[in-house]
Amino acid sequence: MAELMLHDYELDEQCYKVRLLLGVLARRYRRVSVDVYPGREQCGARYLRLNPLGALPILTEGEFVLYGAEAILAYLARKYDPSRSWLPDEPALFGEVAQWLAFAGIELRAASLARLRALLETGTGDSDNVGAARRAFRLMDDHMTKRELDDARWFVGNAATIADIAMFPAIALSRDFGVDHDEYPALRRWMANVRTIPGFATMPGIPAYH
Amino acid sequence: MSGTEHWHPAALSGGLEPGRSAGTRLFDREFCIWRDTGGVAHAWEDRCPHRGMRLSFGFVRGDRIACLYHGWQYDEKGQCRLIPAHPTLDVPPTICVTTFPCVERLGVLWIYPHHMVEAPPDLPVAERDVSPVRSLYIDCAPAAVLRALTAHAQDIGPPGVPLLSFASVADQPIAAVQPFGAAKTALHIVVPGALRTQRPGARRQTAEWAEELRHDLEQTLSPGELPSTVCGNSTWPS
Repeated sequence: MAELMLHDYELDEQCYKVRLLLGVLARRYRRVSVDVYPGREQCGARYLRLNPLGALPILTEGEFVLYGAEAILAYLARKYDPSRSWLPDEPALFGEVAQWLAFAGIELRAASLARLRALLETGTGDSDNVGAARRAFRLMDDHMTKRELDDARWFVGNAATIADIAMFPAIALSRDFGVDHDEYPALRRWMANVRTIPGFATMPGIPAYH
Repeated sequence: MSGTEHWHPAALSGGLEPGRSAGTRLFDREFCIWRDTGGVAHAWEDRCPHRGMRLSFGFVRGDRIACLYHGWQYDEKGQCRLIPAHPTLDVPPTICVTTFPCVERLGVLWIYPHHMVEAPPDLPVAERDVSPVRSLYIDCAPAAVLRALTAHAQDIGPPGVPLLSFASVADQPIAAVQPFGAAKTALHIVVPGALRTQRPGARRQTAEWAEELRHDLEQTLSPGELPSTVCGNSTWPS
């Protein structure tokens, strides 16, 4: 069987999403460290052949190549989760998971950018992205507040899905760009739940315990 | 902080589970609230004396909270009990965190943010059965929010402790008003009656009303409507 390989950068929250899912699925894979900073290796010829966007994560399995965290999550869940719980088949649940995957890719992009700016550059204000990230976090907190009132613990349905995986890093790492969790009590409780998923993996800035 | 020698709400009680910590603010000052595994709530200054790390980032173990940075553990009185790098050290009593009085009433956790007193005055709010709805964070100055809301709600709280009753809204929510910061206000919203007496969907409907309330307030009031000095002093009721 072709080897599963993740082209990865430790500090990249998009890569972390994939490591998180591979961890909870207990799937063995080879991790290839890419010199993103300062080397910009993902923008070199070798990596542009795998992803012309010049970004990580990239998953390869033999000749098969896939880039973009949400697409990789969907692929891995479909292929390696026999329980079908991480990406449910039921149409309404499947649709809701897809909705939050898009939210993670579009609305939370500002959080990614704000964090990169804060980590890799200094002294530059980035109020637009921080503001957009806070608006997205508020929508997530409103959602989880109402979910709690319906006695639910996860973004979609009655079990953790790849929607939870895709939403988790941006808020869990928001202190990297100066956004505290004080005003997101429902997200704080949900993040504590995510940490209890068997196989949960950490990354710099995200300790296991709370 | 004259005019602020009162109890202030900081969270919904049910939202802070045993063994968890959270950060919050009063007049932009940081507090760590945490609940030990025995269920008792604590409100502390949000600083580890070692390196100044926010203790609310830390983790609760039994009746102690530990700092995320180097694991220094503090007991329920704020006294440092363990420094993991020096496990045999008898920790000097001078290493302690400032603690504040903290009570739970009306489904809300309240802080008395003054440590100069021997015993705090009672929080003059009567206990009654309520059900929690949500905490709502509004990007507007506390005094401006209070002024706008008292047009629609009756203040049933004692002097200096605004407690707003929205009698004309379905299920008659009650909101405790937290002066979070110069440009931020929190409302901790409950509905009267124990959980088992609530009609299905009532709390969710009140949560949706709260979202609309936040939208309306943020549309009408601009965040910088009042200078930061105002919210800490004269305009906040005393």
